[in-house]
Amino acid sequence: MRILLVEDDPDLSRQLKLALGDAGYAVDQAPDGEEAQFLGETEPYDAVILDLGLPKVDGVSVLERWRRGGVATPVLILTARGSWNEKVAGFDAGADDYLTKPFHTEELLARLRALLRRSAGHASPSLSCGGLRLDPRAARASVNGEPLRLTSLEYRLLHYMIMHQGRVIGRTELVEHLYDQDFDRDSNTIEVFIGRLRKKLGSDRIETVRGLGYRLTPLEGETTEG
Amino acid sequence: MWDLSKRSLVRRLVLLAGVWNLVVLLVAGVFLTAQFRDSAIRRFDSALTVLTDDLYASSSVEDGVVKAPFLTDIRATRVYSGRYWQILEMRPQGLRIVDQSRSLFDSSLTIPGAQAERLAAAPGKTLFFDLMGPQNARLRAAAILTRLPGYPRPVVFIAAEDRAPIDRDADIFARNTAIALILLGAGLVSAVVVQVRVGLLPLFRLRREVGAVRRGKAERLEGVYPEELAPLAGELNALLTHNQEVVERQRTHVGNLAHALKTPLSVMLTEASQQPGSLAEVVERQAATMREQVDHHLRRARAAARSQTSGERTPVEPIMDELAATLERIFQDKPGGRGVEIDWRCPDDLAFQGERQDFMELAGNVMENACKWCKAKVRAEAVASSPEQLTLTVDDDGPGLPPDRWIDALKRGQRMDEHTPGSGLGLSIVDELARAYGGSVTLSASPLGGLRVTLVLPRSEG
Repeated sequence: MRILLVEDDPDLSRQLKLALGDAGYAVDQAPDGEEAQFLGETEPYDAVILDLGLPKVDGVSVLERWRRGGVATPVLILTARGSWNEKVAGFDAGADDYLTKPFHTEELLARLRALLRRSAGHASPSLSCGGLRLDPRAARASVNGEPLRLTSLEYRLLHYMIMHQGRVIGRTELVEHLYDQDFDRDSNTIEVFIGRLRKKLGSDRIETVRGLGYRLTPLEGETTEG
Repeated sequence: MWDLSKRSLVRRLVLLAGVWNLVVLLVAGVFLTAQFRDSAIRRFDSALTVLTDDLYASSSVEDGVVKAPFLTDIRATRVYSGRYWQILEMRPQGLRIVDQSRSLFDSSLTIPGAQAERLAAAPGKTLFFDLMGPQNARLRAAAILTRLPGYPRPVVFIAAEDRAPIDRDADIFARNTAIALILLGAGLVSAVVVQVRVGLLPLFRLRREVGAVRRGKAERLEGVYPEELAPLAGELNALLTHNQEVVERQRTHVGNLAHALKTPLSVMLTEASQQPGSLAEVVERQAATMREQVDHHLRRARAAARSQTSGERTPVEPIMDELAATLERIFQDKPGGRGVEIDWRCPDDLAFQGERQDFMELAGNVMENACKWCKAKVRAEAVASSPEQLTLTVDDDGPGLPPDRWIDALKRGQRMDEHTPGSGLGLSIVDELARAYGGSVTLSASPLGGLRVTLVLPRSEG
């Protein structure tokens, strides 16, 4: 397993390289954002450990550039800034996990193992409906290549709808597939979730069929691939 | 004792206008009354002059005796009618009465000594003066010293009339003028009061707006002000901006310091964990304490800066969405399950009165805490509980906490679980922040089986 370690503090970088080496990983180091971006784009790493406070180009920008350039390598963010604001920004940029300094080396290694396990077998068949694409393995969705931010309930609903695309699905059916049986089902639950999905997917993809339910269809002119 | 700079502007302006009015009206009153009296007396005097001229012109000397004309004026014949005349001759030993009007009856006119001297000094010139007449009446007199042809001694013709009517007229005029001027003054002062109140309205509006900024209801002064106040409003806005910048800078400094300390702490922790023995334990414990201190002071710095910059309006719904998605990602490897499912609800138009980062910190920590403790499900619901408040309720289906630990859980440094590394409840942060916003955090039992955290925060309407 080959890991890219991006950290500007030489002591921490040396320590982590040692620990990672002991755990059996091959480690490349990058001390700044520019070099990190270059290495990440050119070398096939299995995972990246990325510090956010970097000289030259900051970590979030590096991550954004990778993701925009199609680099899908799982990224674990390492940062001193632990506010939620920054965590959310990191995940929005495409991070897969987040660790706040100071941390224990064991925790970093555990997170890294989980990250690698998750990304293993990534090449699973994806589901699509026009420009909308779902990756069931990673539980991710995208519209025209732009990743969507979905919660698990939203994802579950969309997954069910894409499996039955083109068919009108009743509300009861959707609720049954959204929640376990014993969960409360207030009457407007489905409206709330459909509303959120429309906000994220674009309002035309989910059609309301009066009195019957909802239908997911590709947009006009779009062809469903794969 | 009488500090002008502290007195009310309205009172000051009204008082000044009042004093000024009083002076002007008083001077006008005195001047008008004096003018009226003067012109009345001049008219009176010219009537008397006609009388003396008549006397003089019609008198003749017959057989060495001055012969007064017969004046038909009834008032000169009726006793004490108020109109009198007299003819005197100047002798070395003094004035001697030659003839007089019948109206004088048994009394006579006495020319005061000073006036007699003036007459003697200016022969042929009509002089006017006051004198006392019969029955103590104040008279106005005109007198002329002249010579009659064929008469050896100079003769004084004097005509006098009771001046009570002009005095009365003057008094009536003065009284009426005073009444009119007092009314005018009162009118002017009330006009000034209205004018000042209306004129100062923008000032009161400015005060209200500044108050709104201070209470965090507005971020800057938005009103349109007259050109005298506009620069002040502009300066105030600039000051607010400057303040925000200073606060923001200080916050950044504190943040930078805190974050700069964290990387060395990581190095120490890692180094220590690789060394066996008691040194490692000490370093680890101390590093943990340092981390807590850094976090605590970072929060304090943020909380201290907050009171001055809470005019912001932060929509809640997008933050809930971001947090839910992020937290599910973070907890997707939660042991013993398929990650965490966050079911959240929030009206689209709900907004928090305060900064975005702070709401994120508040909701993020409460929801993270729930994710940490839940088995698989977390429910979060934000509602507008009143026009000024919003309530965020976060439930989990975990083991929960016994009621006697609900209070402790909000205290700083309380660790509820020694097994999960680095995990206090994180709720003390929330408690501190919520208090800084005048809100509250309460713990209770959740219908899902775990803990329910209820966060009450200021809401921004509109």
